[in-house]
Amino acid sequence: MSIITKSIQICLAIFIFSASSLANEVNLYSGRHYDSDEKLYAKFTEQTGIKVNVISGKGKALMQQIITEGASSPADLFITVDAGNLWKAQKEGLFHTITSSAVDNIVPANLRGPNNEWVALAKRARIMYYNPRTVSEAELEGLTYEDLAKPEWNGRVVIRKSSNMYNQSLVSSLVANHGVEATEAWANGIVANMARKPEGNDRAQIMAVANGEADIAVANSYYIALMLSGKKGDEQQVAANKVVPYFPGQDGRGTHINISGVGLLKNGPNKGNGVKLIEFLLSEEAQNHIVNNSFEYPLLDSVSPHPLIAQFGTDFKQDQTPVSAYGEFNPDAVKLMERAGW
Amino acid sequence: MSYKDFLNPWIILPTFLFALFVVPVIWIIFSLFGNYSDNWVHIYNYTLSGYIYNTALIIIGTSIGTLIIGVGSAWLVTTYNFTGKKFLEWALLLPFAVPPYILAYTFTGLFDSYGTANNLVRDLFSLPNEFIFFPKLRNVYGASIVFSFTLYPYVYLVSRMAFINQSRSMLEVGRTLGYNKFQIFYKLSIPAIRPAIIAGLMLVLMETISDFGAVEHFAVNTFTTGIFSAWFGLYDFHTAKQLAALLLIVVISFLILEKYSRRKSRYSSGSNVFSPIAAEKLNGFQNIFASLFCFIPVFVGFILPNIQLGYWALNYKLDFFNEKFISTAWNTFYLAITAALICAMLAVIINFSIRYKKNKVLNVMSSFLTVGYAVPGLILALGVSQLLVFMDNLIFRDYLNFILTGSIYGLILAFIIKSFALANSTIESGFLRINHKIDDVARSLNTPGWKLLFRIHLPLLTTSFLTSMILVVSEVIKELPASLILRPFNFDTLAVSTYIYAAEERMFDAAAPSIAIVAVGLLPIFVLSRLIVKSRPGYRNNDNHYQSY
Repeated sequence: MSIITKSIQICLAIFIFSASSLANEVNLYSGRHYDSDEKLYAKFTEQTGIKVNVISGKGKALMQQIITEGASSPADLFITVDAGNLWKAQKEGLFHTITSSAVDNIVPANLRGPNNEWVALAKRARIMYYNPRTVSEAELEGLTYEDLAKPEWNGRVVIRKSSNMYNQSLVSSLVANHGVEATEAWANGIVANMARKPEGNDRAQIMAVANGEADIAVANSYYIALMLSGKKGDEQQVAANKVVPYFPGQDGRGTHINISGVGLLKNGPNKGNGVKLIEFLLSEEAQNHIVNNSFEYPLLDSVSPHPLIAQFGTDFKQDQTPVSAYGEFNPDAVKLMERAGW
Repeated sequence: MSYKDFLNPWIILPTFLFALFVVPVIWIIFSLFGNYSDNWVHIYNYTLSGYIYNTALIIIGTSIGTLIIGVGSAWLVTTYNFTGKKFLEWALLLPFAVPPYILAYTFTGLFDSYGTANNLVRDLFSLPNEFIFFPKLRNVYGASIVFSFTLYPYVYLVSRMAFINQSRSMLEVGRTLGYNKFQIFYKLSIPAIRPAIIAGLMLVLMETISDFGAVEHFAVNTFTTGIFSAWFGLYDFHTAKQLAALLLIVVISFLILEKYSRRKSRYSSGSNVFSPIAAEKLNGFQNIFASLFCFIPVFVGFILPNIQLGYWALNYKLDFFNEKFISTAWNTFYLAITAALICAMLAVIINFSIRYKKNKVLNVMSSFLTVGYAVPGLILALGVSQLLVFMDNLIFRDYLNFILTGSIYGLILAFIIKSFALANSTIESGFLRINHKIDDVARSLNTPGWKLLFRIHLPLLTTSFLTSMILVVSEVIKELPASLILRPFNFDTLAVSTYIYAAEERMFDAAAPSIAIVAVGLLPIFVLSRLIVKSRPGYRNNDNHYQSY
């Protein structure tokens, strides 16, 4: 039974194990999990001496954890990859106003909370990818998200499942502009036009177009750069060269924009350090780091996106629908998509 | 009954532990007594029937799959000698190291219309791009296949343990009756180990029910995806909890039914002479069949996914294996061993108490704790947080100046609740196979309870104890989205590294940590399965007398 005795020893060792607390630190609950973010936080620690502690996980689960922990929550900042969660956290009263002139100067009003409880860190567009051999110039003329529900796209569209956050935000923005009824009719049209049952992630939709399974896909902007970079393998690099990105709605509202964002939590023990980290994340250095690793669009005009994504244009028209609407209409969007069998 | 029947360590200790562990489960079930939001109308009208239908199909498919693979291979390796048996005997456990969602991801990487396997076929026979050789996997059938090939080891392990402990006399009876090999298998051996098989199957089903990763990837709407749709999509955590509670009630009724169905039967071997089964040599076609039957699960559930993972990892990301990896692997390893040890010890104490003190209350409560396994990890984690925050406010913060929330203890607590069922099922069936006469003899000699437990039961339970540890270790290592939110700051486990990437289908990034999970998971499987073979009755000549009471 020596293995059991050993295990008991290990057991006891853990009980002695206890977390030491450092005064100069900042605690993050993060829904973003890019390895590159860790390097970014290391830079911050180097500059300020403030230690960055991170727990990363699913946005909604982390939010629920913050609610459960209540006053004893150790989290100072909540970072997400979509606006919906920030809106919901704000509704739950979890946030504290961020007082910082840097934040006021940099972040446009439609990309932050009503009282500066949260701000965007980077932008991504939800765009279309088409197969140039099967989609004509005429068909692309002034194409909008709304147009994809029209009969001429029957059996040609691929888009991922309704459970996906990015789709929920896109449909929420349509609800904000057209109301539930019209958007539901649109969702029914999209489902009728699908080339296949929704499956896989955004990259799988682009692959489907590259492989001729469909003519047009809806997916986020940074995926094309990620695939072209070769970081995801030769196969995807080849596929990415077979499709062309298209920014919808240029003659109308503009292309749908979503954000990576951060909110300051009211129960956080290190709110001051939290604001410092937010300011750092909006600095030129950090913005450069973010756009060059995740291929998102920057918030600072002085920073340009990575060439792999910038080549497709940077001055496209962006939908000005406030991102907070994504959260507000999210339940409606999910329900209407589920009714449509998306 | 006097007060002594209640104020007895065999009742107080398990009851106290239960009170602690059962709270998060109760917390979920209690949501049913709260308000019902309008979202219920939507769920009831549009989605609920689909969830139930798909979940039922997957449960049926997975049950059939795991029973055929698990029981069949366990019988073959215990009763016969065939080519490769020595290797296959423990290799059949390898798929334990592969979580269902990883198999699902590698399967789509291989068999999707533009997957590796289809490309290979097209290249080999120079077929056009539109040609698709392998059938679509992203449906309930694909999900059943994935669950069958990753979860059958539960059935395999418990059935094999039961077969090993089966006496040769059983087979001799069969031969006397003129049964052939197959008839002995399903007329004598199977009915005799039914409780073990059902216990294994219950684990498979609970894990299937609580799975989110694989079904989400296959775009199949099950009850669990419904829970997350309510939570993440409709922003309605309360309704999500209520859905989870309904699921738990179904699981609890299954468990009670299972207990009830075997209530009257005592399955301990009545034979005075235990003699281990002597394996018979197979030849010709039968030999090939047996080898293939046992090799296919190992190939599909372990070799194939690892080839794909290896390909991904080698091509795109090897910088994972650095100094950070060592700390991550170590975290994973000691968490797993700790949780496994506590779970196994708890299960022994509780089952002993049920057996020795005939504690009915504990028996019912034990079913409650077992359902922890069927709760989706994230929801369970929040139940645990609730408990931790409550205890912090009540005692720890003010009196002990220590905060449980965000500490490693919360994580261990969640692991125990999540995997107690695993430990319990093997320990329970282990106890069932110990002859009750032993207890009667001990009682008549006025042997105190602890002596009976430590001197007689525990040595007889070695196999079960180690098996239950294997189950918990492999569970803790590979799974648990709960650790995502319960772990302390900057504390990574291998499952966390994998899960974060895999959940976003970044399989190239997930490949290296996945392989690490498999590697770290293999170690305990290897060591413990060695110990199980050694603990086989009749293996040690001098210790053989335990069996001859």
